[in-house]
Amino acid sequence: MRLEDVRKEYGDATALDGVSLEIRSGEAVAVMGPSGCGKSTLLNMVAGLDRPSSGRVVVHGDDLTGLDETGLALFRRRRIGMVFQFFNLLDDLSALDNVALAAQLTGTPARQARRRAQELLDELGIADRRNAYPAVLSGGERQRVAVARALMNRPALLLADEPTGALDSHAGEQVMDLLLDLNQIGQTLLLVTHDRRLASRCANRVVDLADGRVVGERSLERAG
Amino acid sequence: MRTVKAVGTVRAVGTVGATSAVWAVARAAVRRRKLQTGVIGVVVLVSTMTIVVALGLLDAASAPFDRAFAQQRGSQVTASFDAGRVSAAQLAATGHASGVTAVAGPFPEALATLDRTVVTHVPGPVTVVGRAGPGGSVDRVNLWAGRWAAGPGEVVFSSPPGILGEGTHAALGRQVVLSGVRFTVVGLASSVSESADAWVAPDRIAALHPESVQMLYRFAHAGTDAEVAADVRAVADAVPRGALTASESYLSLERRSESSPNAFVPFLMVFGILGLLVAVLIVGNVVSGAVVSGFRHIGMLKALGFTPNQVVAVYLVMVSAPALVGCALGVVLGDLTEQPLMEQLLGNGITGAYLADSVGLSAWVDIVALLGVPTLVLLAALAPSLRARGLPAARAVSAGSVQRGGRALRIQRALTGSRLPRSVSLGLGLPFARPGRSALTLAAVVLGVTTVTFSTGLAATVTAFGDAAEGGGAYQVVVNAGRADVGTTPPTHTDPQIQALLAALPGATQVTPSAYVPVRLAGAAQGLTLTAYRGTSSDLGTMVVRGRWFDGPGEVVVTPGFLNLHGLSVGDRLTLRTAGREERVTVVGESLSGDPDYLSTDWTTATALAPGVTGRQYLVKLAPGTSVDAYQRAVRAADPGLHPSAKETVNAASVTAVGSASVLTLLLGAVAALGVFNTVVLNTRERRRDLGVLKSIGMTPRQVTAMTVVSMAALGLVGGVVGVPLGVLAHALVLPLTGRGGGIDFPPSMRDVWHPAGLVLLVLSGVALAALGAFVPSRAAARLTIARVLHNE
Repeated sequence: MRLEDVRKEYGDATALDGVSLEIRSGEAVAVMGPSGCGKSTLLNMVAGLDRPSSGRVVVHGDDLTGLDETGLALFRRRRIGMVFQFFNLLDDLSALDNVALAAQLTGTPARQARRRAQELLDELGIADRRNAYPAVLSGGERQRVAVARALMNRPALLLADEPTGALDSHAGEQVMDLLLDLNQIGQTLLLVTHDRRLASRCANRVVDLADGRVVGERSLERAG
Repeated sequence: MRTVKAVGTVRAVGTVGATSAVWAVARAAVRRRKLQTGVIGVVVLVSTMTIVVALGLLDAASAPFDRAFAQQRGSQVTASFDAGRVSAAQLAATGHASGVTAVAGPFPEALATLDRTVVTHVPGPVTVVGRAGPGGSVDRVNLWAGRWAAGPGEVVFSSPPGILGEGTHAALGRQVVLSGVRFTVVGLASSVSESADAWVAPDRIAALHPESVQMLYRFAHAGTDAEVAADVRAVADAVPRGALTASESYLSLERRSESSPNAFVPFLMVFGILGLLVAVLIVGNVVSGAVVSGFRHIGMLKALGFTPNQVVAVYLVMVSAPALVGCALGVVLGDLTEQPLMEQLLGNGITGAYLADSVGLSAWVDIVALLGVPTLVLLAALAPSLRARGLPAARAVSAGSVQRGGRALRIQRALTGSRLPRSVSLGLGLPFARPGRSALTLAAVVLGVTTVTFSTGLAATVTAFGDAAEGGGAYQVVVNAGRADVGTTPPTHTDPQIQALLAALPGATQVTPSAYVPVRLAGAAQGLTLTAYRGTSSDLGTMVVRGRWFDGPGEVVVTPGFLNLHGLSVGDRLTLRTAGREERVTVVGESLSGDPDYLSTDWTTATALAPGVTGRQYLVKLAPGTSVDAYQRAVRAADPGLHPSAKETVNAASVTAVGSASVLTLLLGAVAALGVFNTVVLNTRERRRDLGVLKSIGMTPRQVTAMTVVSMAALGLVGGVVGVPLGVLAHALVLPLTGRGGGIDFPPSMRDVWHPAGLVLLVLSGVALAALGAFVPSRAAARLTIARVLHNE
């Protein structure tokens, strides 16, 4: 994944000011910085949820700046998995169906999608909660379901935006372990967080942002 | 005391401040929620317009005769007395007879012979009354052109406004001869009581040798034939035996008006009822939806310190502002639409024109709309507002992100396992998330489809009727012989010569002369017109629904209205009279429709009643491929006194009915589609986060559009499946109502207008209606910015 001199402006405010960044396959990178430094904007650019005002974003060979809305949707579907701070599960669907949904959008038959979703929930240790709806799941369980959904289409890049931000410490630990495990089996990770523990536990490189600019970059020996 | 006063002052200041805050927040909400404000305004406008048109049509259609009769204080009994057998004092005494509440007269009355056509009156016997003016306590005649007859030789003819005929205003100033006395037409007036054909000043009628005296009565009880008969007996008892020579009840006039060929009244009533229902449903849905979608905002207001009542006030003001503007504009636009629609629809036929003259815009309709629609809006807003009022702030803030009911989840789950594309199965499940809103939307779509179906059936029936009424193209040219008395050049040829001339012109294959003979039916006061045909007439396209076309002397074909009015049926015999002659004829057939005062017969029967009758109109059949224009040019060249015209192939009344039905259908369809539009706007707003999630995991804009459109198209399909049978049922129920009125008796070929393919298309019209309403907001949903939605949590 490569960001080349990416700028993003919202009216007079500059959210990203010439950010360049490269992430290689299998890496786990944490983007850190204070509130309002542009972390989430950067993540949105990589996920194709927002468009840069200038510069290029290239993910797995796809130049996102040249894609239309449908192209971006297909890109997200095939290349990206996203985990949000507030889970963003669909309240009307069970845990299993939330996970299966991502595959079904690609045209995978319902039965096959549910089988794969079941496997993922099993791997993530919440198979027994597959028929529960988000409203009755704990925060940690919801985030595990969200991670399972993000992994459903075997993404090239897993993006996580403050994945432990809305969890208690125990649930946060579980999610950290999960992300670490995923990276160790080869899943590329891009984390946005201001949680140093999460960064040191899961990432092997940290990029510091301030006022929309990359102000530092360092490699880490993972704590875990 | 001082402390109490101080507290009171603080409360007063607080109340003023709170009112100001409520107003400020409501005004800001109106401005900020431009789309919602616009939707409420437009929906209320179109709904109010529909309500005004619907109520106006219902009002006019429910009792047009009664309204016109009440406006003119019509005569409930119009009585004729033998002038030689009753004195003025005795006539005045009838005003005190049992039950009489108002009386007008005595007016001297003469039966005169008119020499030429004046508007709707043809040469022949006419009733002339000597009357000082159009006003009075009974039968307030509407003098709509010219002035009342005052001087010598002045006459006012009765004529309904809107009957153009030869040109009503051209009739003013015309010289006519009544029983040998020359008169000038100075005015035209209409009387719903049909009290006279013409009026002259009382001191000028002596020249016409009046033999009877007319009295006009209103009674305390005259609702039934029996009551009217008792009233007439009371009047007859007040004068010498045999002095009362004739009397006509307004009830028979009412029946005549109902039997006129105005087939549209029952149809209008259906449209009116449908319009009311759709409008009420949509206003309720839109307004309550606006309040429900603002629950989170309500929570914030409460958190800020707004009291529950202030929250309710904010929301009522927020929805009332655009609703009041929409309502006011809707009333104005509704009035503008209603008036021409009523004039067109009720103005069919002579009786209809009298009624259309009297049926105006009803003030009560506007008042009901101006008071009723805002009340409806307030009630629709009040229920959810009160619910929001009682919600704890924390719950109100979290509204919209809680788990939905079990049934919705079960359905969603069942759909998840289906083989349908996921965007489609998700869309199918959406209506169950908000079952109340979906039910109201569905009901609006059902009524919309019912309207479309009913309108389609109506159009098919009326078009078939119109084609049949115009003879189905049986002949192509109508040639009228000019007449000096109506200001057109008379022909140089005689009647037989004209027939031969027309038959000899290139292209003509058949020429059938026809004539009109004024007659009276023995035992009835009203005049009739006998249409006589010379030669072949059975193939001129008149549809006979019972019996057969006449094929010899002494046989007549009549209209359903005629049979209904006189209580006759096919096979009955009746006696027709002209001055000094009478003929016994048999009713051998009943035509599809037509004026209740017209009968058709052969030339021999007509000449027996009116010797010397000549052809006035020639119906010409042309060989296929013959140019109608070329034939008409040849006719004019052959005799300038012959006035050809191409036979109408399109029935004007049918076109009016179909056109008006289309306007009403479009109006109702637009309201129903707006309802769907509003539902999708509300659903999209409530499900912004879900849409953001779906897009973040790869749902394409097209899939979002498909999901949203499918959610409403599913409702549309159900609406179609339910609405089409309702529309077919309404069509089946309404058609016999027109038949019962006697105006038209639709044969099975005109009633059975449904075909399987057409019905499927009508079901799909529900899908189209819903998809149309959903498309624009679904596109907006597809363009939703994901990043903003998901990070606003």
